[in-house]
Amino acid sequence: MGKREVYWWLVVRTGTCFAVFGLGALGLGLVVFPALLLFVRDEAARRRQIRAIVHHSFRLFVALMRGVGGFTYEVTGRERLGRPGQLIIANHPTLIDVVLIVALYPAGCVVKEALFRNPFMRRVVQSAGYISNASTAGMIEQATAALRAGDTLIMFPEGTRTRPGEPLQFHRGAASVAVQACTALTPVYVTTDPVFLPKNRPWYRVPARRPHLCVRIGDDIDLSEYRDLPPPRASRMLNARLQEHYSRFLSDGAGYNAALKTQASRATGTGGGREQQRRIVG
Amino acid sequence: MLEQIRESLADLFEIEPERIQLETRLYDDLEIDSIDAVDLLDRLKRKTGCKFAVEDFRTVRTVGDLVQVIEQKLVAA
Repeated sequence: MGKREVYWWLVVRTGTCFAVFGLGALGLGLVVFPALLLFVRDEAARRRQIRAIVHHSFRLFVALMRGVGGFTYEVTGRERLGRPGQLIIANHPTLIDVVLIVALYPAGCVVKEALFRNPFMRRVVQSAGYISNASTAGMIEQATAALRAGDTLIMFPEGTRTRPGEPLQFHRGAASVAVQACTALTPVYVTTDPVFLPKNRPWYRVPARRPHLCVRIGDDIDLSEYRDLPPPRASRMLNARLQEHYSRFLSDGAGYNAALKTQASRATGTGGGREQQRRIVG
Repeated sequence: MLEQIRESLADLFEIEPERIQLETRLYDDLEIDSIDAVDLLDRLKRKTGCKFAVEDFRTVRTVGDLVQVIEQKLVAA
């Protein structure tokens, strides 16, 4: 196949996946969830079931995308996800990362307000009890209440997808919610190589080579030093720390990916590459 | 009321009381954003025993505006 055919094949493939996702979401929102409304009276139980359905649908979708060769991925530390009152924070380099994380655990999520107006996604985010970021004060109120009620919640401190090539910018909302209400704060680091479905790039501009996604779930961040401070000071300090922590990790992560590539390109993989890899990860 | 606001701002944000005058702008001069506002209002609610909603403060720009809104609420209560 020529370069042009490969490109069009990738576009058709990604487009089909998007169509499946949209129609799937529509089907869940219009048929499956209203049906649940009839059979499951208890609201909390129903929301748990809806989140479980979304979780399994996303698992299917991830399997589909991987199956058709849309991307490859690896996950480490998934056992650390899913504790009551746990706040999961992640950087947001791609449209797909939230799908991957929800495919790992049926958590609640703070999502952009536009999804509550999107005809395909509207009913899904509403039924699953996801939280809108429309107003900061309202979001903080709902997110802290959800965590205190024992929910596991995903937040993206960037507030939107990462702008490739620009320094990471964290908003204080996630840190504020964390210091006030979470039982554990768990960082998730997402990297994609090459850049895949980032901000400000239409989906049909697919990368030339198959993207590889890394989802690393890190150790909990110790919040004890922030607990006794007034929230505004605590959240400022935590936010600065998180932003610094992620910036450092992600620049190391890029080094890690480069090291992997060097290793793979060497036909006779010696210990040298692996040692380098270990050093960078540690 | 200004004294109470000064005290709250000092505790919550470590802002020196002398920096807080009636014409001081909360966002531009003191860097108090919408997230801080929630905490500040929460604290003032507890201190004054007065109930107010975030919407009441939509038009507040300066410390003076804040004092005015709270005093109006206290009179109305």
